[in-house]
Amino acid sequence: MPASEGSTHPPRRAVIAAVPAVLAAATVLDGCTSSPGHQPKTYRFFTSHQAAVVEDATARIAPGPADDPAEAGHPGAREAGVTGYIDTMLAAFSHGEGQPPRIFAGGPWSNRHTSGPDLMARFVPLDPLATVAWRTRITAWQDQYKKGIAALDKLAGGDFTRASHIKQDKILAAKSVSQFTSLLFEHTIEGLYASPEYGGNRGLAGWKDIAFPGDIQPRGYTPDEVERSDGHDPVQDTGIVADVLKLLGAL
Amino acid sequence: MTKAIVIGSGAGGSFAAMVLAQAGWRVTVFEKGPNHFTNLAGPGPFGTSFGNDSLAMIVRNYPGPDPEVFPRTWRPNDSAPAHYTGSVDELPQGVGGGTVHWDAKVPRFWDIDFQQHSALGPVTGADIADWPFTYQEIAPYYDEVEHLIGVQGDVTKLPDIVRKHAPRTHQYPMPPGPQMRSSLAVAAGAAALGLHPFPFPMAANSVSGYNGQHACNNCGFCSSFGCPVVARPSALVPLRQALRTGRVRLVPETMVTRVTLAGNKATGVSWVTMTGQGPVAGTETADVVVMAASAIETVRLALLSQFPDRSGRLGRRLMLHAFIDGSAIFLDERMHAHRGRSVTQCAEDAVDPDYPGARAFAKAHGLPYLRGGLMELGGSQDPISEAQSYQTLLGFVRASKPFGTEFKQLMRSSVLRDRLAGCSLIGHDLPYLTHTVTLDPTVKDVFGLPVARVTWSAGPHEQVAQQFWIPKLKQMMKQAGAGVALAVPATLNSGGVPTGNHVMGGMMMGTSPATSVTDGYGRVHGLDNVYVADGSVFVTSGAHNPTNTIMAVALRNMRHLAGS
Repeated sequence: MPASEGSTHPPRRAVIAAVPAVLAAATVLDGCTSSPGHQPKTYRFFTSHQAAVVEDATARIAPGPADDPAEAGHPGAREAGVTGYIDTMLAAFSHGEGQPPRIFAGGPWSNRHTSGPDLMARFVPLDPLATVAWRTRITAWQDQYKKGIAALDKLAGGDFTRASHIKQDKILAAKSVSQFTSLLFEHTIEGLYASPEYGGNRGLAGWKDIAFPGDIQPRGYTPDEVERSDGHDPVQDTGIVADVLKLLGAL
Repeated sequence: MTKAIVIGSGAGGSFAAMVLAQAGWRVTVFEKGPNHFTNLAGPGPFGTSFGNDSLAMIVRNYPGPDPEVFPRTWRPNDSAPAHYTGSVDELPQGVGGGTVHWDAKVPRFWDIDFQQHSALGPVTGADIADWPFTYQEIAPYYDEVEHLIGVQGDVTKLPDIVRKHAPRTHQYPMPPGPQMRSSLAVAAGAAALGLHPFPFPMAANSVSGYNGQHACNNCGFCSSFGCPVVARPSALVPLRQALRTGRVRLVPETMVTRVTLAGNKATGVSWVTMTGQGPVAGTETADVVVMAASAIETVRLALLSQFPDRSGRLGRRLMLHAFIDGSAIFLDERMHAHRGRSVTQCAEDAVDPDYPGARAFAKAHGLPYLRGGLMELGGSQDPISEAQSYQTLLGFVRASKPFGTEFKQLMRSSVLRDRLAGCSLIGHDLPYLTHTVTLDPTVKDVFGLPVARVTWSAGPHEQVAQQFWIPKLKQMMKQAGAGVALAVPATLNSGGVPTGNHVMGGMMMGTSPATSVTDGYGRVHGLDNVYVADGSVFVTSGAHNPTNTIMAVALRNMRHLAGS
């Protein structure tokens, strides 16, 4: 499409299947604490124990192969680096002198499906009002994490990470921590499916598991890709999928 | 040289600035939010910090306003104080206003919308009135807006009902771009039901070079997203023309807090901006003040400025559209709605009060008529929004363990994203004196000013129209081959808080100061030099995306003001 014809646009590749080839490049980020395939060794906000609790808890919310044999081949929160995402967010204002807070990735594109620099890796400086708003919000989240992690530990008799999976599930489902579990779930979702510049979705693990190509500029899609049918592809409507469809169908 | 202050740089304010500056006026444009663009005043293409970034745009609210510093409150009716504080039908706060994140759909209101009282008669309990002009008078301004901002569409594909009620003499400036699979699938269902779908007119370049901008490349991040290639320049086109006169000063990150009045004249405005050291306030004088902060914020500013209100209608008749959210779930095919321009087909059959059966249904429910609205056929949501939907649903179907492997199974099934084709209906919203914007008595913004309190819920007409059209939407989706078809009032998904980003009314135009807030050209009754150029002047809500109508009305009224 003609958007790539402008002199400011780098050349684009022809096929969306170029995703795997650029995985490594996509996760080498400007000043990011994480590196492909490994959890960051140090955290900016969490203590190592707090990070371990968050990692185990988010892995119960979105399990990967290490957490549930049924998820073999399907990376989860642990593999996608969700804990790193949350730590990056809670320390958004502590990424170094002169560094914009890690709230809004820049634009206009990452070049994930093309070649060229990742322009989303440069964060946008916050204006003074946004700074007020985000300092307030992040301070509140920091407090909720400190208290929430302590509450999970307490329900586990001291250390959440030493509880069995079944016990961990029960704790996360407990009424007394439901608000914190809900917050953890929201942030797990973001760490899995937000752009990797924010510190999660490592190696595009979250997107690949759901066959989502993510941001596509400046390549875009061809008219044929927009209009065509991708063909017969029936859903496995058993178990939870069937139950959800039944509920939706009854609305 | 006449000096004007324009408050807001969105759909209305950008046109006001252009018309007044081109007439030789000096103009200061105050914009509450930041500028996410570069090179607006210069020649050639311009850039943006917007990207295909769901976290920034959907979750973290990059387009603003941030409810942490600029909340609103909401209540369904005026029998109790507001019980909700947060985002209420917010439009983006920044240079370009709501047009930075819209998916730029530009259907026209119908002739009967501008003459709703004389064409359709009164409705008990509602405040139906005619606009101070007809469709025939506004049509050339629609043409001019379409030509200026660049619209794709095909006049030969418009169905008879649209040609009849919104006749046009010109072909669209650009042909329609490719049609999304999800839109075509649902459009087939619509056609099978006897409806008349057609390519949705849209203010996005389908050819490269229009306005010097790139063509849309169908990246899929359209509605709710800033366009990374600026193929949808919208209000920035007139704003750039305004800036290029050399007579316009654009002041972002600055909120007007009061229009200062002396008797029946405005002398200028008071403003405030936030700095790293705290708020800094100031004033600026002008000969004319044009308010274009969007319906809810313009009313708030009028109330903060203690405008006269002889008609008792200032802040009343707020219209937000009573949306129906429809979802067609295809169990045998992935519809890949992440490729395309959010939605590319629409149907206007449900806008018609004379749709077969509608009059009888209305009569059986004590109404003279009912109107649904434009149906947006196709489109879906992003993975983060999809995942949030499953988080909610798991709370219902797996209360004892609402997370885990089953969450990931749902994500891979993608019944609420890749297999989804949306079908929303933009429900016509009658004007009621009880639907209002007032100043909240307790909640303040970051600067200590009372926030807007919205009082709105679907009225009697809207509820009956939903009862009539929801089964038809479901039938249409089933005809399209959807395995599961659901359609519910959008407020059911939001706990009652209005959604949809279509805000109109509060400063209605009219010829009599006894029954309207602004005159036939948007001048505030009782004030000699204060004009309104946004959706707050609307008299009725149409049943369509309202932004190009905001632009056309602003163009007409500002031409009158400038004498051009």
